[in-house]
Amino acid sequence: MGVLDYFKSVPTMSAEEARRFLAEKDPDEYNLVDVRQPAEYERGHIPGANLIPMAELKDRLHEIDPEKPTIVN
Amino acid sequence: MRSRSAATFLLGAGLKNVYNMEGGIRAWKGMVAQGLPEAGMAYFSPAANAEEIVGLAWALEEGSKFFYQGIAEHFSEDKEAHKMFNWLVSAEKSHEKHLLETYEALTGTKPDFEKMRAKFSDSLSGTVMEGGIAVKEALAWIQGKGVSESLELAIAMEVNAFDLYIKMSRAIEDKQAQQIFEKLSEEEQVHLEKLAGLLDKRV
Repeated sequence: MGVLDYFKSVPTMSAEEARRFLAEKDPDEYNLVDVRQPAEYERGHIPGANLIPMAELKDRLHEIDPEKPTIVN
Repeated sequence: MRSRSAATFLLGAGLKNVYNMEGGIRAWKGMVAQGLPEAGMAYFSPAANAEEIVGLAWALEEGSKFFYQGIAEHFSEDKEAHKMFNWLVSAEKSHEKHLLETYEALTGTKPDFEKMRAKFSDSLSGTVMEGGIAVKEALAWIQGKGVSESLELAIAMEVNAFDLYIKMSRAIEDKQAQQIFEKLSEEEQVHLEKLAGLLDKRV
């Protein structure tokens, strides 16, 4: 990943949009990935979120189903 | 922000439909679950079959039922709270019935109750509730606490159960067992709405 990649636009969802999205869908219709550290996750996370700390993302890509929409927080 | 970098990375890895949730958990106004990913999941093995899951979910529901019974008694003076927690007791009971029906619908057979009880009752039944919290500790905690604090504890317990059931529906291998967890998570959501509704009135 190059430095310029950080300037590309990334689609976003507001917390409210995400809340509505998650309420409407079944858990098997999306990926919900939490990229924070375990201690942060332990203190509080969105129900059903899969904890994949940023540093592990590359090695754990297989846990994210590419066929489904993915929400990252 | 980490999630933005992560979303960029995932898009770069070829994933479509990736969204960065703005503001992260601080902006999140919905339910929040606590605990590490493995919390509660230790009870369930990913290779467990439908029968084992029904048995275990059963034992945990029983714990929740005792918890709600205890709170209902504790607040016998407060009509509205008493009614609410008694409703949850009956909800857990019908949940147990529902588990049984789901099991029968999925497998075409009746679960062996005696076997299930023998397997789980000694170690678990009635001592631990959904969300992995010990019933005794929870009931000791509410002594001297008000209705809204007890509601908050109940909500925390239900959110953790909801979190656990969603994760289990993904982790479990057995397709039928997956459906049981999906159903369970849907029902937890209904309990949560009820609890939150009363809490809204009380705060």
